[in-house]
Amino acid sequence: MNDTPIRIRVKYSKSGNLRFLGHIDTQNLFERALRRTELPIRHTQGFNKRIRINLASALPLGFISEAEILDIWLDQPIDTEIIGKKLNEALPDDIKVLEVQMVDNALPSLQASLVSSDYLISIPADPGLETFKNRFQALLTGEKIEIIKRKKTIDLKPMILDYSFQSESPDGDQSFIRLSSSPNANARPDDLLQLLEIDPADCLVKRTKLNFS
Amino acid sequence: MKKSSQTYTITTLQKKFTAKAILITIMNSLIEKILYHVEKPGRYVGGEHNQIEKDWGSTPLRWCLIFPDIYDIGQTNLGLAMLYQILNAEPDILAERSFAPWIDMEAQLREHDLPLFSLESKKALKEFDILGFTLPYESIYTNVLNILELSGIEAYVSHRTENDPLILGGGQACFNAEPMADFFDAFVIGEGEEVSLEISHLYKAWKANNGSRQELLFQLAKFPGVYVPSLYEVDYLQDGTIEAIRPLRADIPAKITKRIVPVLPPHPEKFLVPNVEIVHDRMSIEIMRGCTRGCRFCHAGMVNRPVRQRSVDQLIPTIKNALKSTGYEEVGLLSLSSSDHTQILELTQQVHENFHDKKLAFGLPSLRIESFSVDLMNELQELKPGGGFTLAPEAATERMRAVINKPLDEEDFYFTVKKIFEHGWRSLKLYYMIGLPTETMEDVEAILEAGIKVKRIGKSILGNSAKVHLGIGTLIPKPHTPFQWLPVESPETIQAKIDYLKAGTRKAGIKMSYNIPDSSLLETWLSRGDRRLGPVIYRAWKNGAKFDAWGERENLPIWREAFESTGVDPDFYAYRERGLDEILPWDHIDIGVKKNFLKQDLQWSLRGRTRPDCRNTCYACGILDAFGETRPDNNISYWGCP
Ligand code: SF4
Repeated sequence: MNDTPIRIRVKYSKSGNLRFLGHIDTQNLFERALRRTELPIRHTQGFNKRIRINLASALPLGFISEAEILDIWLDQPIDTEIIGKKLNEALPDDIKVLEVQMVDNALPSLQASLVSSDYLISIPADPGLETFKNRFQALLTGEKIEIIKRKKTIDLKPMILDYSFQSESPDGDQSFIRLSSSPNANARPDDLLQLLEIDPADCLVKRTKLNFS
Repeated sequence: MKKSSQTYTITTLQKKFTAKAILITIMNSLIEKILYHVEKPGRYVGGEHNQIEKDWGSTPLRWCLIFPDIYDIGQTNLGLAMLYQILNAEPDILAERSFAPWIDMEAQLREHDLPLFSLESKKALKEFDILGFTLPYESIYTNVLNILELSGIEAYVSHRTENDPLILGGGQACFNAEPMADFFDAFVIGEGEEVSLEISHLYKAWKANNGSRQELLFQLAKFPGVYVPSLYEVDYLQDGTIEAIRPLRADIPAKITKRIVPVLPPHPEKFLVPNVEIVHDRMSIEIMRGCTRGCRFCHAGMVNRPVRQRSVDQLIPTIKNALKSTGYEEVGLLSLSSSDHTQILELTQQVHENFHDKKLAFGLPSLRIESFSVDLMNELQELKPGGGFTLAPEAATERMRAVINKPLDEEDFYFTVKKIFEHGWRSLKLYYMIGLPTETMEDVEAILEAGIKVKRIGKSILGNSAKVHLGIGTLIPKPHTPFQWLPVESPETIQAKIDYLKAGTRKAGIKMSYNIPDSSLLETWLSRGDRRLGPVIYRAWKNGAKFDAWGERENLPIWREAFESTGVDPDFYAYRERGLDEILPWDHIDIGVKKNFLKQDLQWSLRGRTRPDCRNTCYACGILDAFGETRPDNNISYWGCP
C-alpha cells in the first residue's frame, strides 16, 4: 500500500430520476458504486471504516447538473481513463462521470475553495420570459433582497453575482444566474424563484458550472 | 476544471446533455411536478442500480409486483427480489414494482387526480395484466384497498370489470387470507418461484383465446397451489362457527395444497440497490428454508416445511457475485434456524476466508442457544466488530419450555451467556414470550430472574458496561400451528404480567421492550379471522385506517367502530377457545402438515411432552406424504426429513 493517498477529482452529471436524490443519498450512492468498481479506494481511519469521499456542494432536490464535482482518494495510482470507465459501469444511468483527473493532495477541500455556482433556469410559459425579466429586475432595484431561512434573515442581493437572459435557445427561454456558493454566503436558485412567484417545480434548473478560487 | 493528460472526458455525452433530452427520459410532467412536494421523492422514481427496464410495447405479459407498504420497508424483501428476477428472466414477461405511497404522496396523487404508478416505466397500475401483491403480514391489508382505489380498481372482486388487471396475492399471510377473500381474484399458497411462471403461461394462453374473466378464474382455481376464494362458499352454524367450506364447482379441488420448490432455485444476485436511505438496507441471502425444530408457537416453522438448504458451494459464489454487483457493505445470512444448517461452521469459516479483507459486516440471526453459536458469531465478528448478541429462549421455566417445545438446558444457557460476555459482546438481547398456554405468574417471574442472573454474569465479566435487554412478546396463537385452537390471553392478564416485568427490570437496571396488549389485537383478529371480516376491513379502511403496522394503536378506535357497525364480534376471533372438531376458517388450505398431527401436538403440549427435532425421528407430520414424491436425491438438495 502506498502511504500517500492519491487524490482523484471527478466531474459528473446528475439528471433524470436521480435528480430527486438528496445530498446524503447521493454520497451513499457513490460509496456503493465505488465499492462495486473494486478500485483500491482509501478508507477513513478508525473503528468504523468508511470510504473517504468529498462532494463539493449539495445540489438542491429536483435540480439537474452537468458540473458536479467530488474528490475520492485511492491507495495507489490508477489510470484516470480506467477510473472513469469503471465508475460509469458501476453508476446508475442517471449519473455520468464526465471527467476524472489526479489532483494535488495538498489542495484545500472542495467546499473551502468553492466560490460560486452557475445555473440555467428554463423559464416556464407561464409567466414567460418578459414577465420573468421584469420581476427579476424589479427585485434587483430594491436595496436588499431578504429572505428568512432557519429563523435567520439573509440578504440575497450581494449573492447574485451575474445574470443574463436567453430567448429562443434550443431549450426554450432561459435565464443564466451565477450565485455565491461559499460556505458563509450560499444562495439557492429555488429561493430566488420563490421570490419571483414561480414554483421551482415548474422550471428545469440545471447547474452548469462550479467555480472555485 | 483544468485539463491535463491525466484527464478522462466524455464529450459526446456532454453534447447530448440538454434539458430536452432529459425531460424525455422522465415521466410525464405532472408526476414530476408533484415529486417536488413530497418528503422523499426517491421512493417513487426507481432508477436503482440493477433495475430491469423492459420495453413496454413489445413485451406481451406485464406484471406489477406490489409490496403494500412504503418503499423503505418493502424494497429489500427477498421474496420480491426473487420474483423480480424470475419473471424478468423470461423474454416475453416484464415485471415492474410499486409500493404504498406515503401519506404526503397519496395526498398529492389525489389532489392532482393521478393514479398510482410503477417505479420503472411510471405506468398506471391499471395498465398491467397482473398485479401481484406480497402479503407477508396482516397489518398491510388496508393498504391493499388503498392502492386499489388509487389505481381506479374496485376493491370487491364482484365489482371488477373484464378489463381490470388480475389481482393476485402471495406470501406468508396467505396461509389464511380468508379476511381478504372478497378483494383478491386469487391467492398463491406457498412458494411462488415456479407457480408465478406457470400462472404467466396460463394467463398468456387465456389472453390469446380471448377468454372471459370468469373463465380465467376457473382455470386458475384448478391450478395446483392457486386459491380462488370467490369460487368457494362458506356455510355457518347458529353459533357462528363454520358448517362447511365448499367449492362451487365439482371440478375445483376441495382443498388447496401449498406449493413448494423441491430444490431451492438459484439465489438472486443482482439485487436492486436503493438510492434512498431505507430500513434494513443490507443484502439478504437465504441459506435455508423451513425448520425441523417444531416450536409450537411458530407459524413460519409449521408452514414452511420441509427443510431445504443451499450448500456452501452454492452460497459462497452467490455472496461473491451479489457483493460485486451491489457494493453492499452488510450481508444477512437468513434462515429460521441458522445453527441447523448442516454446513454452518464451514459456511462461516469460508465467509471469513473469502471476505475478511473486505470490511464487510455479516449477520447470522436465529442461532440456537449453545456455546457453538458463540463460535460461529466469533468467526463473523472478526470481520467487523460491533453489534450485540441475541438469543431467544422464549420461556424461562423448564415446564413452560416443554409446553412450547423449545427445550433448553439451564446450564448450557448460562454457559453460553458467559461465553458471549467473555468474548467481549457488551450487549445481550433475550427474547421471551408471555401469554403462553398454561402460563402462571411463576413462569413470568422466572423471566425476570433469568434477566437478573444474566445481568449479574455480564457484570462479573465486563463490569457496568454489560447491557441486558429483555424483549417481551405476546403469544398470538396462529393458524396452522398446534396452538391454533387456543384463545389469546385477556388484555388485563397480559397487562399485569407486563407491569410486573417492567417494575422488576427497572429496579435491576435491565432494558425491556414490549408491546402493549392493544397493539397485537389487530394482528389477532386478522390472522385468526374468516371471510366475514371482509366488510370490517373495508369499513375500517373507508374510515381512514391504513399503515396499520405503523399506527396500530391510533387506528384501534376505527377498527372497533368497523366491527360494531358491521355487526361482527371481534372477541369471537380472539378470546374463544375453538373446539377440536370445529371446522377452522383455514382448513381448506393444506400446508402439508396434517390437522391430526397438530391436534396431537397440542395434546402433547398440554401434558408437557416435547417432540424433539424431527431430523432424527420423523413423526409423520404429513409433509412427506404431500411432497415426498418430488424429493430429489440428496446429492442435489438437502432435505431435513430423514
Ligand atoms: S415429514 Fe417428518 S421429518 Fe419431515 S418435517 Fe414432517 S415430521 Fe419432520
